[in-house]
Amino acid sequence: MKRVDVARHVMDPVEKVVHWVLLVGLLVSVAFMGTGIVLGFAQGTGLPDTVVAPGDLPGALADGEAAAFLTLGLLVLIVTPFLRVAGSLVAFARERDLRFVLVSAAVLALMCLSVLLGRA
Amino acid sequence: MTFVAIFAMAVFAGVAGSMVGVGGGIVVVPMLSLAFGAPIKVAIATSLISVIATSSAAQTVFVTKGLTNLRLGMSLEIMTTIGAIAGGVTAILVSGQVLQGVFAAVLVYVAYTMNRRGGDVPAERTGLLEASYVDPADGRLIEYGASRFKLGAFLSFFAGNISGLIGLGGGAFKVPIMNVVMGVPLKATIATSNLMIGVTAATGAVIFYGRGYVDPFYAVPAALGVLVGARMGPHLAVRLRSRTLSVILQVLLLGFAVLMAVRAVQG
Repeated sequence: MKRVDVARHVMDPVEKVVHWVLLVGLLVSVAFMGTGIVLGFAQGTGLPDTVVAPGDLPGALADGEAAAFLTLGLLVLIVTPFLRVAGSLVAFARERDLRFVLVSAAVLALMCLSVLLGRA
Repeated sequence: MTFVAIFAMAVFAGVAGSMVGVGGGIVVVPMLSLAFGAPIKVAIATSLISVIATSSAAQTVFVTKGLTNLRLGMSLEIMTTIGAIAGGVTAILVSGQVLQGVFAAVLVYVAYTMNRRGGDVPAERTGLLEASYVDPADGRLIEYGASRFKLGAFLSFFAGNISGLIGLGGGAFKVPIMNVVMGVPLKATIATSNLMIGVTAATGAVIFYGRGYVDPFYAVPAALGVLVGARMGPHLAVRLRSRTLSVILQVLLLGFAVLMAVRAVQG
């Protein structure tokens, strides 16, 4: 007889988006941080105590600087919840759930406001 | 080697977080500040980074099991995010001594709440933000809704505020708000709180990042350590009684509280 697993939850489209955005964000972030650590110890510099400025990031990555990979890993980690909210917004829009499109948009707008406050 | 020491500390924080239900931040902030000599604002920024890591990692599991109430979480996130922004900006402006004083008080509160494990609220359909999940313990389908949304949302502002101010996920505040105030069953509450702490922490983290308080020297081993610890927690739970860990952690948190309070006074 075929075994039926009643306890298995079937993810709805919004849950699927949240699941995949967070999983990919986490894996990419860990990959960059891991690369940065390996480079840092291979080059004998250890871990840096400051992040690389956004403008210098492409050049530093091309040069294989440990600090650049670590910075990118941290940035991907921080940005992942932003992408999760943006992803939910799109998924709610596809389900034509206008109310939660607005809720997601409000959360995303507030999160973006904090980016500006970090700079000012 | 400092890298290994910070990593090991974060593994412990991750294990503690996943086993007894407190966020890693409550361990990460005092340890970095007291044992590793990190400036308090750097310790807070590091903690926020590890909270994001914990949330993203645990959510990939909670969402697949259907435990997270996404609509409830997103609705309350509006208020926790406003709170986190206010808290983050305040943290940048006030002195480290004030933050250490607030942290000491929160440590005592969290140690206290770990004691009273009350029963769960009964699941009731309310017509508001309803969801259902299959209870992993006995395979029953639990259908529930939330109540007292306005009060819950109002209190969520303060949960977000504490989080942005002193670098915690704020789960210790969000869980009682959803469970006790809004009547959401505990398992759904924990999963939903875990979803929300990622957004709250990311909101606080960008403010600290912009101000140069994110230091890879601390943040990278802390984030990776918490991830490893959070994965180990459920496996260790089989061998180590969570009650034992809970008592150890309470003693530790109260010890941290005393040290932080002394620092706050002495400067």
